Amino acid sequence: MDSPCREEWGLSDYTQDDVYLVNRAQEGYFDAYQELASRYAVRMYRTALRLLSNHEDAQDVAQDASINAWRRLEHFRGQSAYSTWLYRIVTRLALNKLQRDKPVDSLELLPDLPSADDSPPENLERHEVIDAVTDAVAALPIPQRVVVVLHHFEGLSYAEVAAITGSSVPAVRSHLFRARRSLTYTLREWR
Amino acid sequence: MSEAKSAERSRDILRVLTVACGRSVDQLLEQVADGHADELDSHQADCVHCQAALSELNSLWSPVVEFAKQPVQAPPGLVDNVMDRIYALAQDVWYTLQLSDIGAVKIAARVVGRLARDTARTVPGVRAALGRTSQGRIVQLVEAATRRHRHPHAAVGVLGRTAVVDIAVAVRYGEDVHEVAAEVQQRVIARLRHDVGLQLVNVNVTVDDVVI
Ligand SMILES: [Zn+2]
Repeated sequence: MDSPCREEWGLSDYTQDDVYLVNRAQEGYFDAYQELASRYAVRMYRTALRLLSNHEDAQDVAQDASINAWRRLEHFRGQSAYSTWLYRIVTRLALNKLQRDKPVDSLELLPDLPSADDSPPENLERHEVIDAVTDAVAALPIPQRVVVVLHHFEGLSYAEVAAITGSSVPAVRSHLFRARRSLTYTLREWR
Repeated sequence: MSEAKSAERSRDILRVLTVACGRSVDQLLEQVADGHADELDSHQADCVHCQAALSELNSLWSPVVEFAKQPVQAPPGLVDNVMDRIYALAQDVWYTLQLSDIGAVKIAARVVGRLARDTARTVPGVRAALGRTSQGRIVQLVEAATRRHRHPHAAVGVLGRTAVVDIAVAVRYGEDVHEVAAEVQQRVIARLRHDVGLQLVNVNVTVDDVVI
């Protein structure tokens, strides 16, 4: 889940939290920023991948988010955790990409109605389950997709998700209620 | 239970708001999805409806759990690409090493900063080190001010022969902080003079914190 160990730099024990590296990066220490970028690379990419369901787009968004964060680093004042601030950037970029490529309305999909005889094959391959979940997540309306990715796949709390999305905890919870119903319904043959 | 009946039952639970005892399906599914299906409250411990629903929902949610467990690796080179683009964005500052008939030999300030950092890391007692060259901001201002009337191929921000390097180090517990800082300063100066040819080097060492 976490970033690769950077033991060769001797920074991993020293900077358990990001504050030191953020402060130094703001002062122009490029390698402090490089450590931050390494630390968050997987999380940025994975978030983008699960929002966009496409490797190329996710890679672009993860890179752009990291560069964007560098450019705006002087405006980061520590009102939130650095991770929250970064997740906000990557989520916003991913949503911009989604909305550029497809109008939002077309993503307001209704759950697929099952036909009577679409029973699954006997032996389900693992990757088929993964594909099915990928499709089910991609079919969620954008707000539901975002909360599922941030809460269930990135493991962030409701409060963190609310901070990232500029929403409230009750709103996040309500989107999650709907999203879980849709996902379980769509995926009911794949358990 | 037959496949058909099982499918029928899962469709049922996803179509109602509450189970027979009145508990909310959404909240039961939340409990399951957050990994707490086994943590029954006092009502659930005695309620067959809740227990059946939790079990059913746990099964229904299992593909998502499997999906979430899939490891994802960052694409190789992602961080390197980011840093390349960040370095390209930064106004590169150059030190002039030598002036001769064939021109000036220059070295990028960030290369000097990295070399200084790597040298600082060789000093016993240094736990972590970061390096930068501290004239970047001044050069950026000069560069911005002269952008319109500078020859397009002129080297940007040639500073002359004096390099100013800042090193931030963290020192292992029990070490003499001043001694380590002095050693860092000496080694960095020596390295930049002898390996790179920067004769005039100011090295500022900051000891950030002591690592236990
Ligand atoms: Zn009950």
